[in-house]
Amino acid sequence: MKVERFQELAEAFGADMRRWPATDRAAAEALRLAEPVMTGQLLLHAARTDALLHTSATPQVSMALRDRVMASATAAGLSPRRVQWIAGRIAWLSGAGWAAAACAGVVFGLNLTTQLTADQQVDAVLYQATLDGVDDTEVLG
Amino acid sequence: MALTTDPDEDLVRRVGRGDPAAIQALVARKLPRILALGYRMLGDMAEAEDVAQEAMLRAWKQAPKWKPGQAKFDTWLHRVGLNLCYDRLRRRREVSTDTPPDRTDDGPAPDRGLIAAQTGVRVDAALALLPERQREAIILCHYQELTNIEAASLMKISVDALESLLSRGRRALRQTLADLAPGHDPGVTPSFNRAAEGGRT
Repeated sequence: MKVERFQELAEAFGADMRRWPATDRAAAEALRLAEPVMTGQLLLHAARTDALLHTSATPQVSMALRDRVMASATAAGLSPRRVQWIAGRIAWLSGAGWAAAACAGVVFGLNLTTQLTADQQVDAVLYQATLDGVDDTEVLG
Repeated sequence: MALTTDPDEDLVRRVGRGDPAAIQALVARKLPRILALGYRMLGDMAEAEDVAQEAMLRAWKQAPKWKPGQAKFDTWLHRVGLNLCYDRLRRRREVSTDTPPDRTDDGPAPDRGLIAAQTGVRVDAALALLPERQREAIILCHYQELTNIEAASLMKISVDALESLLSRGRRALRQTLADLAPGHDPGVTPSFNRAAEGGRT
């Protein structure tokens, strides 16, 4: 790269060589090392313009704008879909949970009833067996 | 078109799925950039906010159908923002105003000294006086930190043309703001600047 090209790049893209076109950077860096005084002056000159540009205030995002933009995501159907999906999952899990609990209750209830009936029959048989003068057929049918 | 590595790719995919954390992250990452683009292009904070809000709304609509690898999301968003700015600048020309709008800064004051702030106001005014394409080139390359290829693509010009716009724009700024140069003697062009600009036509 020639000094003239180096100057063109500095004047267009400024002193920060990371901003220069990728295709020119290596050659420019080589020239900077070979001609440090001349290229240094060109970069210093460009840096003064950069410094002026940097004094321009960058606008700050207000909370009101941020809130409006977040709300627009919801309006565009992004957040609600997620929220609805989560709500749907919770509702589904909740319904499934109630159904499972109901089934478990029925099964437990049936088991309990069967167990109690069997115990009662055994008790009745043992009780009747202790009675004298009563025919087993009267008790058990 | 060659495949591009997009640092926003994963974030945009998550936004497309409606991930609230990703939406917040994209707002934090992109809203300041698009607001700055709009402000520097239009010189009006209220209009810049409208542009930023509209550009982000389009981003929300685009995210679910975003196809990675074709273009960077940031470049696409800049194209949207620029087009919105062009529309507003066109409307301004139609109502025919000879003077650029006053620049107002409704945001919180930046943390810097008064002199720097005054310089900044002058730089903003000098930027506003530049021809539109020169200003656009400086905004995209210097402030938005886009590469020369990205900026040239957005402006639909060659990289050589972009370089020319940048050089002329920066030179015009230096001339307008010559009195701010270090060691400036009013009425005398700084010798360094004169020497450095002597080789340019």
